[in-house]
Amino acid sequence: MMMRISDLKTHFPTPDGIVRAVDTIDLSIRDTETFGLIGETGCGKTVLGLTIMRLLHPATTVEGEIIYKGQNLLEASEAEMRTIRGREIAIILQNPTTSLNPVMKVGEQIAEAIRLHQGLNKKDAAAKAVEMLDAVRIPSPSQRANEYPHEFSGGMKQRVMIAMGLACNPSFIIADEPTKGLDVTIKAQIVELMREMTERKAMLLITHDLSVARELCDRIALMYAGELVEYAPLKGIFESPLHPYTRGFLGSLPERGLVPIPGMSPSLIDFPDGCRFHPRCEHATEVCRREHPELVEFNAGHFVRCHHARS
Amino acid sequence: MHYISKLTYYLVIILIILSINFFLPRAMPGDPLAYVLGENPDMPTRMTEEEREMRLAEYGLDKPLLEQYLNYMVGLSRGDLGCSIYYNTPVMDEILVRLKWTLLLTGTSTVIYMLLGIFLGAESAWARGKKKDTGSLITILTVSSFPTFFLGTLLAIFFAANLDLFPLGGARIIGASYANPFEKALDILHHLVLPAATLIIAHIGGTYLLMRNSMLSVLGADYILSARAKGLSERYIMNRHAIKNALLPVVTMAALTVQFMIIGTIFVEKVFAYPGVGNLLYDSVLRRDYPLLQGIFLFIAISVVIANFIADMTYLWLDPRVRDE
Amino acid sequence: MTGVTVKDVLGSLGLGILVILVAVSIFAPQIAPYDPHDTYKPMEHPSSEHLLGTNDVGNDILSEVIYGTRVSLFIAFTVSITAIVIGTALGLIAGYSGGVLGFLIMRIVDIFLTIPRLVLIIVIAAFMPRSIWTIIVVFIIFGWVMTARIVRSEVLTLRSQYYVESARMLGGSDLYILWRHILPNVIPLVVVQFIMEASHVIIAEAGLSFLGLGDPVARSWGTTFHYAFECPNIITSDVWMWWMLPPGLCIVATVLGFTFVGYALEERLNPKLKTVVGMGV
Repeated sequence: MMMRISDLKTHFPTPDGIVRAVDTIDLSIRDTETFGLIGETGCGKTVLGLTIMRLLHPATTVEGEIIYKGQNLLEASEAEMRTIRGREIAIILQNPTTSLNPVMKVGEQIAEAIRLHQGLNKKDAAAKAVEMLDAVRIPSPSQRANEYPHEFSGGMKQRVMIAMGLACNPSFIIADEPTKGLDVTIKAQIVELMREMTERKAMLLITHDLSVARELCDRIALMYAGELVEYAPLKGIFESPLHPYTRGFLGSLPERGLVPIPGMSPSLIDFPDGCRFHPRCEHATEVCRREHPELVEFNAGHFVRCHHARS
Repeated sequence: MHYISKLTYYLVIILIILSINFFLPRAMPGDPLAYVLGENPDMPTRMTEEEREMRLAEYGLDKPLLEQYLNYMVGLSRGDLGCSIYYNTPVMDEILVRLKWTLLLTGTSTVIYMLLGIFLGAESAWARGKKKDTGSLITILTVSSFPTFFLGTLLAIFFAANLDLFPLGGARIIGASYANPFEKALDILHHLVLPAATLIIAHIGGTYLLMRNSMLSVLGADYILSARAKGLSERYIMNRHAIKNALLPVVTMAALTVQFMIIGTIFVEKVFAYPGVGNLLYDSVLRRDYPLLQGIFLFIAISVVIANFIADMTYLWLDPRVRDE
Repeated sequence: MTGVTVKDVLGSLGLGILVILVAVSIFAPQIAPYDPHDTYKPMEHPSSEHLLGTNDVGNDILSEVIYGTRVSLFIAFTVSITAIVIGTALGLIAGYSGGVLGFLIMRIVDIFLTIPRLVLIIVIAAFMPRSIWTIIVVFIIFGWVMTARIVRSEVLTLRSQYYVESARMLGGSDLYILWRHILPNVIPLVVVQFIMEASHVIIAEAGLSFLGLGDPVARSWGTTFHYAFECPNIITSDVWMWWMLPPGLCIVATVLGFTFVGYALEERLNPKLKTVVGMGV
């Protein structure tokens, strides 16, 4: 087991109240699998990624356990975390345009992590950065390494982000919306690249795009209002979805007619009583309004959080 | 491309400044001749009509405006700024004699206050919300409320008149003979401390606040998160990622803050009787030495334009995005 | 959620200072022990008759400083109100109508921002008769520039926003849209700008007067300081304590009052606005 997350809660104060972005999550990720975390914008999935990396604002309160290779990351010191970030666990942040430093050369932004974690000198690290650019199929990499982010197209910037994340050969990768804002052709290329580059690694893929998850993931979890509502192997989710939210999400795929889920996702400050999904659920009954359902194993390896789960 | 268009823009500005300088005495509600002669408007000299015409001809004021303008421009191109009324010597000479002192004072102070303001602003932002940040914010807002002349006077009273640590004024001991160049440099430095300190303290606020605010917004940027995600240390992130980005607005405003600094020099030189151009400006105001006053205005205005140009070039150098536009 | 913040404390402190100063300037005749132009024995040290002594021509310094509040604040408020109104109007025109007029206004703004304004003010003031009206006029000529620039860029942002577009499609006249939709959004910016301008004028006027360009009759704090400074041996004796310190501290207190209020307002109204302190003086 690469990572086991149990009873994880991430709360942070805002002027409007306490945001319960992650509330409560349990999941585990195996050594070389790609685990998809799917949900609408604002369900807390990005916060989960940043919680694992311990990159949230100091005012955030985090409870529970994140066990990585036997160590609880939530108890690691900041210095220990710095040796883990980039080297053991890498995160590929969303929005390459704002996530790359506009006044620093692209090659340097990759090389600095290599120098830090692998102790290479400036020249060797720069050479390694060029290799990484080549590995993510950026044409004429040695020349591109000396360019600035604004000289790259959106798809190329995403490739740089991937190269940056993988530069120190981490064993666990968190990829946050790696295909957001890309057109279909470029998206397919990036998906292919991600598949190839992370073959023997564990990856947590955070996305709202089911078609990308279908291409890359071994198992998929659906997140709604800070908690997981269903998780199962890929096939289970696509062929026998159990939760109405999952079914709704599948219905919004292009080949299934792009039917959106009615209603809006709840604010993470005020959850509805009972099942958090009940205001948007067509099957909701009295018990859904009253009682918060537990996550139960419905079939082997197929978990769901619903009072009325059925095949 | 950028360089050329910027250069053209500043040349136009300089032309405008030269023209303002020409039209100023002629557009003012008095007699241009009185300005050239430096008369007190409350006590005009009585002149006969002939005397008056002779004087007008002497200064070329009887010619058509366009011809006067051309003459003025031709004169300027030869470095002719007219004649000082009080000293009865070319304005250019009077300015050049004092320029080195002003350059020394303004130059030293500018370098130090820029670096110090950037450093303190960055540190303050880094410690945002903590006592250190709030403390330096309030201190700097307070210090910035002191007019330069008041601050300078207070420093002169405490450190020169009372504690006798530094000289009350001047740029060096008058008539001193030095054993070696080192001694001379030490004496000049000794005289430089208080005026430079006044300028730095009085002007650090602008740069400090700009840097602090800019740093605060940079620290919230995605690429800083990205750098943290690589496992880089906070200190490294600040030095290598944050500062360069945060400097951009500081550089944009640098020309303006340097302009304030140059203006502040006028007051500091007066307070410490520093023999520079600023002191000359003060004297020429009191003596109604208009040609000298205008010459100094030209010098200051053009050096401010040059400061603007340097700031623009620095910006181009710092920000690759603008460079490629 | 949070309690009293730094900006609240500073804001109230600043407001308190300004209220006191305005009160002093309104009630100057009641508060001041003497007429500032009456002459007594010159260069008196502080005594029960003259709390801050007398100056070189025998005026009561305390009374001069109290009346100086009037002069300094009158100049600051007259200049900043006028300059802000002009700047807002020109900024609205430049931002809303664009065109040749807008272009022209913005070029003038650029030029004014490049030329060191205080030096030009000094030169112009040197050509004109010494009076508070000279100072008021020259400051207004240069005071509107920053406001015009800020207002214009805000108008450009607002103009592209949905509700102005829709108001126009519904057939609102330009004047109506300016009045109903744009002006209310610009007001907060203008208020902050007014505070900043007032504090700039206080400090710049003090500088100008320190150079001897102030009104010799209606003496502002800067003018009082100027005469003190011109007096020989003042800083090597104790005289500075009652002749220089009071007007100097009054200037600092006023600027501080405006700065604190401006800082608090700015943080509240528009945290994106950046304070630029200093005028060079």
